Amino acid sequence: MTHSEIINLFLALGIMLLLGRIIGEFFRKLKMPLVVGELVAGIILGPSLLGKFLPVANQLVFTTNGNLGMVINGIGSISVVMLLFVAGMEVELSVIRQQGKTAFKASFVGLIIPLILGFGTAYFYHDLLGGTAGKDVVVFALFMGTAMAISALPIIARTLMDLNLFKTKVGMIIIAAAMFDDLIGWILFSVVLGMINTGSDPFHFLYTLGYTLLYAILMLTGGRIIINKTLPWAQRNLSWPGGVLAFSLGLAFLGAAFTEKIGIHAIFGAFIAGIAVGDSVHFTEKARDIIHQFVTNIFAPLFFVAIGFKIDFIQNFDLQLVSIVLILAIVCKLLGAGLGAYWGGLTAKESMAVGFGMNARGAMEIVLGLLALQAGVITAPLFVALVIMAVVTSIMAGPMLQYFLTGEIKVATGLKEIIPFIDEEKASE
Amino acid sequence: MIQEKKSPFPFKKIAVAIGFTPRIEAVLAESYRLQQLFGGDLIFIHIGEKSLQQEQYLKHLLHRFELDGPNNKLIWEQGDPVDQIISICEIEQVDLLVAGALVKESVLKYILGGIARNLCRKAKCSVLMLREPDIISKPIKHIVVEGSDHPKTETTIETAINVAKATHAEHVYVIQEEDAGKMALIRSESINSNESETRKEQVVSEEVTRLNEILAFTDCGTLQVTTERLEGKPGYVITKFAREHHADLLVLNSPDTKLNIIDRVFPHDIEFALADLPCDLLIVHSTKPEIE
Repeated sequence: MTHSEIINLFLALGIMLLLGRIIGEFFRKLKMPLVVGELVAGIILGPSLLGKFLPVANQLVFTTNGNLGMVINGIGSISVVMLLFVAGMEVELSVIRQQGKTAFKASFVGLIIPLILGFGTAYFYHDLLGGTAGKDVVVFALFMGTAMAISALPIIARTLMDLNLFKTKVGMIIIAAAMFDDLIGWILFSVVLGMINTGSDPFHFLYTLGYTLLYAILMLTGGRIIINKTLPWAQRNLSWPGGVLAFSLGLAFLGAAFTEKIGIHAIFGAFIAGIAVGDSVHFTEKARDIIHQFVTNIFAPLFFVAIGFKIDFIQNFDLQLVSIVLILAIVCKLLGAGLGAYWGGLTAKESMAVGFGMNARGAMEIVLGLLALQAGVITAPLFVALVIMAVVTSIMAGPMLQYFLTGEIKVATGLKEIIPFIDEEKASE
Repeated sequence: MIQEKKSPFPFKKIAVAIGFTPRIEAVLAESYRLQQLFGGDLIFIHIGEKSLQQEQYLKHLLHRFELDGPNNKLIWEQGDPVDQIISICEIEQVDLLVAGALVKESVLKYILGGIARNLCRKAKCSVLMLREPDIISKPIKHIVVEGSDHPKTETTIETAINVAKATHAEHVYVIQEEDAGKMALIRSESINSNESETRKEQVVSEEVTRLNEILAFTDCGTLQVTTERLEGKPGYVITKFAREHHADLLVLNSPDTKLNIIDRVFPHDIEFALADLPCDLLIVHSTKPEIE
């Protein structure tokens, strides 16, 4: 890299982090996920806005081309591996097991129906979804099925906490079901990514599926036991918290390298490594917190802001496509998770709450979409539609959960702080 | 009218699972002591083929340990030991099932499931698993009991306190486990550290209040009761605490779901205790609701 490129790199990283955080905090006040602000920062700095009004600055600093772009893309790859590692840490296999039949039914049906509806819509009406981007229609359809099935665990947990529902029966069912759907969803997505180069050839499909399952089973049994035995050693002999941090993230990268080598995407290795590490009885709350803060405050913003550099959101915005994806996503999860919960013995209202709770897609949907975009499975307009769907479903989860469980919708406190007249209107009623 | 579920204490009917192992005498000696402490009728259950020699030996042992009284009985059946014992306990409406167990089983046996541990997993009545049954009496000094935020906890604590009183225990530790995974998940979307701490405090405060309410409504007498809140994986933390504090009895809630091989591969809650028994283990099941 040249001297000026190094300056531009640090300039870009500094502005990305700062602007992402400032706008993110604004959206947090509105009770929206931080990721929305980070995406908006990317839109401002990327080709959508800065590229139009100050193209020179955009090309020099906030670019994905040349050496600078290569470094930013590299940071993006590291970030996504870390994000998936953290997502894996949040999956607790015992929670899925403990919640019993209702959670299993909600998660199973909540997974199968979105998969079938997403796959069917994409397979038969792929033109409506912006086309297959030149890839095998089965791969494209499988991706859409997976994209419809996945949930956003942290957003769901936060929403349930906000509503004081986290520890209720319905709350734990939603959490367990979302964990199960995420686990299966990422396994499926890894298979889809593995099929990109080979197409839907049954032999290669089974080959990828076999390797994916084998890796998952080995890591979650033998690997987990080894980690459980090694972690106390790391805590005893390596300095705290650096030792545990290096041990955990080292495993994430080794897992990522291994799965990439055997033809499954790197993210899957990190995700399963995250489950194995997070499941260890020796992995403390403090260690979780440190890794979480490190990834979500440094790498996640860089990743989500950089998305804006890759896509012109304004040019690729297609209202019809956004509407189709949004409706499809909501119908899929409401039908799937809602019916599953109802089948599991919950009331109609509770089942609707489970459906809307699991409907939140959050940051993970955006990660999934971007990986599919980079792999050439989907078009840019479909990616933009998926991002909007992820944001909208995450925002609507809270009020809808509250409505179906308590019969009322309260105005978010953050919204009142920013738009004071909301309270005045309420007072005058 | 259906009443609320209640503590199985006092144990009016105690079943003892016996096998012709080197520890049979120790198990019977422990049974005698349990009857002295808790009162109640004893039902000895043996699953296996009946032979005259074994029958005479067993009768001799029961007589030797003064367990052949009119209130006690011996049931001898054939078939799958776990299923048969559980079925007999249901028919006889047993309050407590007692079984001796090894401290630790081989990995393969643990995964496949030994008889004593499978009784703990499947029984619908309370189960007392004796880690090292002994002919010589050992006093129960320290009892560790689960104080998690769960509907079953009230009954479990009540039972543990009653057992502590009956056995003249010195100290009862009530352990609240703070699930590190769930705590991290709760805080994962609240980046602001103040908000994050508030969330944690909110959860902790609710759980502590509920536990204090339970203890306030439980007659602890002169017992020394200490509550502790520990962070980690539920089941593992309390087992570790019991081991480190040389507890004589660990009292846990009964499992919510039927446990199978998956729960041994991905252990949680009582499976941590079953994998490596820290001391004697009492798993509390509420008695069936009574209809008035």
